[in-house]
Amino acid sequence: MLKAENLTKRYRQGEKEVVALEGFTYAFPKGATAVVGPSGSGKTTLLNLLAGFDLPTEGGVFLGETPLHHLSEDERAGVRLKHMGFVFQQWNLIPTLTALENVAFPLLLAGWPRGKRLKRAAELLEQVGLAHRLHHLPSRLSGGEQQRVALARALALDPGILFADEPTGNLDAESREQVAALLFAQGEARTLILVTHDLELAQRAGRILYLKGGRLLREEVLKVPQGQNL
Amino acid sequence: MEVFYLVLRNLMARPVRSLLTLLGVLVATSSMVLFLSFGEGLRRALFQELSRVGPAIQVVPEGVEGFGLSAFPEITPETLEALKQAGEALGVQALVPTLFLTRGGFDPSTSFFFQGLPPGVAPDLLYPGVRAREGRLLPSERGAVVGERVAKRSELALGSPLRLSPRVELRVEGILEETGGLADNLIFVPLPVLQEVLGTKNYSAILVALNPGQKAEEVARALERAVPGIKAQTTGEVMRFAERALRISDLVRFGISLVALTVGGLLVANTVMMSVYERIREFGVMRALGARRGFIFRLVLLEALLLALLGGVLGLGLGGIASSAINLYTLDQVGLALSAVTPRLSLFALGVALTLGLVAGLLPAYNASRIPVVEALGRV
Repeated sequence: MLKAENLTKRYRQGEKEVVALEGFTYAFPKGATAVVGPSGSGKTTLLNLLAGFDLPTEGGVFLGETPLHHLSEDERAGVRLKHMGFVFQQWNLIPTLTALENVAFPLLLAGWPRGKRLKRAAELLEQVGLAHRLHHLPSRLSGGEQQRVALARALALDPGILFADEPTGNLDAESREQVAALLFAQGEARTLILVTHDLELAQRAGRILYLKGGRLLREEVLKVPQGQNL
Repeated sequence: MEVFYLVLRNLMARPVRSLLTLLGVLVATSSMVLFLSFGEGLRRALFQELSRVGPAIQVVPEGVEGFGLSAFPEITPETLEALKQAGEALGVQALVPTLFLTRGGFDPSTSFFFQGLPPGVAPDLLYPGVRAREGRLLPSERGAVVGERVAKRSELALGSPLRLSPRVELRVEGILEETGGLADNLIFVPLPVLQEVLGTKNYSAILVALNPGQKAEEVARALERAVPGIKAQTTGEVMRFAERALRISDLVRFGISLVALTVGGLLVANTVMMSVYERIREFGVMRALGARRGFIFRLVLLEALLLALLGGVLGLGLGGIASSAINLYTLDQVGLALSAVTPRLSLFALGVALTLGLVAGLLPAYNASRIPVVEALGRV
């Protein structure tokens, strides 16, 4: 389980101190949790801290008993590789690698042999409906297709935690629906942390955390999460 | 291997820039190979030649070092007499006085190198293995024996006249077989004739042949002690002196080629640095996905090393071709291959190219591996 305790992040902007997140405490259970709030509410900062991209000014992040905030950069990278998957708004695929190679990349980092790696990547791309796009470079794929490749890549090592940062923000309606369905289908077996502006998308998660001004305003637990059947 | 594949894909994704950088390293390496190949060629030619010289000791005037081909005739008949007495006491086999004369200019193709030999001494005493292809090996009082290459170049045949001065004219009496060595470019004439032309009774050098079992170093030092004002050089000493001179000249030529190498290194550094700046987000994604700093460091460094190695290998090939072309010319002109791309030069060139890549890639690789993930992903 991923836990945040009194998570606080302050930046200095010239003479001024900016509080991006303050006193955030929450234990993320299995299933989908959406984090919503207006721009500047601290959503991105929260994701950066939870994923170990950045370190908190105060408080900490615990993966089980492991304090992520006490680990070195490389140790946090190791934790991300083993336990976390990421889907970004900008897709962030490696432009010189094909869809298949992009999905296989985390497996390369984990030391899988080439044959096994490519087999697993092909299976994942098939699951997201891109079996016919294996050898295409990202530049030859549509936005929706790129996001599905990114999702397949995030699932490559079957992580326990899946982060999605505005995963449908740059997609048309049809692609948005495809990606959302795939994403929430993953959320049942693992912890899905979905950061979004999109309240409609957030309501498909089991829980919604409302942030404002860097503080957690409230948690809403939906009795019947709408999931993929919206 | 997988990282290598990623590097290759990245270089191929920017073909024009990669190619231009490769060309920079190629030109730098090939110019270095060509510069240094002259030292290797000279070293090879000189040592081959020295190993063919018969007498083990060469006596020259004090202060003269190295091969005494162009030494001014300073050894007097009195010194020769003193050397003979000392040599007799030491039990040497023979002492052969010799005299050199060069006629011509800077262009070796129009120059003539004469070596005077005492009556009764044939060229094969000084250059073992030399044989007459036509005519005789031992010139008469007014005759000359000509090396194969000089005969061909100057269209000399048996009976051709050789005018050394307005009053001295010799006839070609023998033409030597080609040996691939110095003798191919020499004209052997009687020593008294050269002394007459130069108006001197002196000699350029005295060559000392030893009996089996005699140690060249010991005899040389004993001769120096017995006869003041001379320097007795063994073949080994000449070789050591030549090696020292060649090393100095190697350093000078390497220094010159460093300019080209520095430009090549800067090109690699610029390409890799540009590539790093363009791919900051990509590195951020890799780090976010779980790549450690070392992975990014290796990825970028390998890119620089690969560019440098490819440029180095191609530069070595181009340098080898240029060296062969130069040898075609010098073989035709002076009968010697003056440029050589030896295995040690090849290894050195590849080592320099790799070092270039390493130095050029270290800073970009370090920078790339240290970019904070949040900054690289634009998530600040």
